[in-house]
Amino acid sequence: MVETGLIDAVAQGLVTGSIIAAGALGLSLVYSIAEVPNFAHGDMLTVGAYLALALNNPSEIPFVPNAVALPFAVAAVGAVVVAGVFGGIYEKAVFARFRDKDADLITMVIVSLGLALFLQNLVLFLAGSANVTYDTVRRVNVNVDVYATGSGLGVELTQRAGADLATLDAWGYGWLAVVAVLAVAVAAGVAVYRWRSADTGYERVHFVSPRVLAVATTLAVAAGGAALTRGGTVATSNPAFSTRIGVSWKYGAILAVMLATMLCMNYVLKRTKTGRAMRATADDQSLARVRGVDIDRVQLVVWVLAAVLAAIAGVLLGWYASNLNPNMGFNLLLPVFAAVIVGGIDSPYGAALGGLLVGLSMDVGVYLLPAEFATYRTAIAFVILVAVLLVTPEGLWGDA
Amino acid sequence: MALADFLVSLLTVVSVYTLFGLGLNIKYGFTGLVDFGHVLYFMTGAYVTVVVTLPVAATSYEGIGGFALPQLLSGVPLGGLLAWFVAIFVAMVVAALLSLLVGVPTLRLREDYLAITALGIATILHTVVNDERWLFNGPFGVRDVHQPLAEAFPVSLGSFLVNLAVFGLVSVLVLAYIGYRVGDYVYGVDLRAAAMAAAAAVLVVAGLGAAALGGALVLGGVLVAVAGVVVLARGIGRADGFGRPLALFTALVFVAWHFGTPFFTAGPSGVLASAVWLFDPTAGADGGFTYGRFVLLVAVSFVAVAYWWCERTVNSPYGRVLRSIREDEDVPEALGKRTFRYKVQSMMFGSALAAAAGGLWATHIAFIDPTQFIADITFFAFTAVIIGGAANNRGVVVGTAVFWTLHTGTRFLNDYFPTEYATQLAALRVMLIGVLLMVILYYRSEGLLGEQTYDTGVAAEEGGRSE
Repeated sequence: MVETGLIDAVAQGLVTGSIIAAGALGLSLVYSIAEVPNFAHGDMLTVGAYLALALNNPSEIPFVPNAVALPFAVAAVGAVVVAGVFGGIYEKAVFARFRDKDADLITMVIVSLGLALFLQNLVLFLAGSANVTYDTVRRVNVNVDVYATGSGLGVELTQRAGADLATLDAWGYGWLAVVAVLAVAVAAGVAVYRWRSADTGYERVHFVSPRVLAVATTLAVAAGGAALTRGGTVATSNPAFSTRIGVSWKYGAILAVMLATMLCMNYVLKRTKTGRAMRATADDQSLARVRGVDIDRVQLVVWVLAAVLAAIAGVLLGWYASNLNPNMGFNLLLPVFAAVIVGGIDSPYGAALGGLLVGLSMDVGVYLLPAEFATYRTAIAFVILVAVLLVTPEGLWGDA
Repeated sequence: MALADFLVSLLTVVSVYTLFGLGLNIKYGFTGLVDFGHVLYFMTGAYVTVVVTLPVAATSYEGIGGFALPQLLSGVPLGGLLAWFVAIFVAMVVAALLSLLVGVPTLRLREDYLAITALGIATILHTVVNDERWLFNGPFGVRDVHQPLAEAFPVSLGSFLVNLAVFGLVSVLVLAYIGYRVGDYVYGVDLRAAAMAAAAAVLVVAGLGAAALGGALVLGGVLVAVAGVVVLARGIGRADGFGRPLALFTALVFVAWHFGTPFFTAGPSGVLASAVWLFDPTAGADGGFTYGRFVLLVAVSFVAVAYWWCERTVNSPYGRVLRSIREDEDVPEALGKRTFRYKVQSMMFGSALAAAAGGLWATHIAFIDPTQFIADITFFAFTAVIIGGAANNRGVVVGTAVFWTLHTGTRFLNDYFPTEYATQLAALRVMLIGVLLMVILYYRSEGLLGEQTYDTGVAAEEGGRSE
């Protein structure tokens, strides 16, 4: 019998981490540009998730007319758009007013706390405290079972069909092929890194950082090589090591959406005028104002983007967990803050990386710890947060 | 439940949370530490007090403890009470040490980092208490809470008439004293504002009274009450300050509620029962002084002592250092003050007060479980402190009274809606609290009373006045 193992926990952690990363990216924009440590950010996730629920599965919400029930993907897009409008409302109705009064950081913290109480209980008021789910197509997970044997690496795809497991597909690799593919992939990554970072200088802004591109190349070449060198089945009866990775199209979709979101955000920040204005405002607000940046417009864009990112994270969180409740966002607030602080609050890229790191640590940590510690997933995020604050308070990638 | 019992219960809750708020005010109001984990020390105080005094074989309790302190001290006169005081003291020490552990790594950080880490630690330790049954019985909570001297109550002085005379006289004296203080404050109010405040009180009382009759009168009554609030707002707008008309309005509404309501429901005997509110005619054979009233007395004494101590602290040179840390930490640092030590001490002191509040809470409620110590309690205390005015000890008393009166008072709304909407109403209440918090910070960030004045002015400014 094949058991799930560390690699499965890593896969789960990547999905959790990318959801946290989207939340953290929005929070870090608000943190560095609007200078609000936004305690309402978690509840902005919840609002986004429930907006999608209202469009997708309105029968779960008592006060919403049970008229339209859109497919999940359409509802998600609609929810993200509406959430963006909400973001503009938060800025105009609340935060712009306090900024005009030169409210200090502590006041902003407490104002955002007031907004958090309001949003969380608005959802509770409208939707009740019951656990609800989206109305989506459910598909059975596929297990990827990996066996390491003397003759090579065996892979089996299995799926639960009724009481037992059906094998969908099976193939294998000789050890030589494995080593060759890995070597080629790493070599390709290194080559890409050398090529892209050759012209690094003060003037040059890479659209995609050479390191990220190198890692992406390595992964792509490894995947391509694996497809090319695919061989016949390997005897898997007595493996030296075996592990099972649960895979679902949901995970793939979440990772793909997150990747697309990150690329879009990267484009906005690096290639648009607004993005440059945002980065300038984050660096030095007075200087940006003197140079003709419309600060109010930048702030509005920041809040809208933050709400959009929060809504994406919220919808995907509700889908991933197959469960929505009014506390879902607030419960994720600590990991999201941890991700932002780990990454350095001035750095959106750090926040995204921090999100991945925190998500990975949470899921891998729960896997490594005894089962009764499963309720302390959030505590792991917190331990990382405190450790980073004690060692390097500016974060791992801060001031970059 | 008689009106007087409700009043006693509300006052006890207000006293407990005032003590809690005084602790928060030391941290947030005077030192500028945004401790979003303040409820952690409230929880610590409640659990430590209860567990230290828990009998050895408590029913359906599987946690650690059962130190049976009251039984150990049973030979000493008033041993039960002494054990309780020892337990409260232990709880305060434990909470102070816990906040030392929390504070040493986090107080070096920026204020926003402190907020998130404090919230994180409180959340995680709440999860620990809730999930680990071996610790404090997990979600099942702790019964068998030691209530000192409970067996001596209700106290009776012999006959019904003597009880009525003595306790009644005390009650009336307390009311008269409060009335005198309020009257003394309100005296000199702008006459037109006073008239409008009185008219507003009549409208609000009449409106809410009509609404309470139910049926078609609900909507009309609510509208009349809203009209009353509008009149009050206009009256306040015409006066120099809002304090006196508001106090007059509050006093009139209180009198109407406390004496008017029983008059309509129970006649003159109801009014008498409200006047002698410290006397419970239904307790025991001859009536008497109930345990709930005793707990109120203890809670009020705790608040009085803590208030005095907080005033002493903030009015001392020590308090001046705390405030200078809040304003600009570099300044006291440059003057050679070790600001980090002051911050840690402020944290420990505030947490100890929260722990005492927790012990009182457990004694009042007689059963504790983790749901009573959720993060909202911290946020409510922040709201109460900000309503009254941060960095103002009197403001904490006023703000907590206003907050919990509104919070508890709006529960009567539950009677008008089917029980399945109880969650909705509770959510609506917290939504409004969130809005209130933002509105107050925007329109009146100094709260009702503003920051208090201190008698530790700088010597040169005040003509060499010594401290």
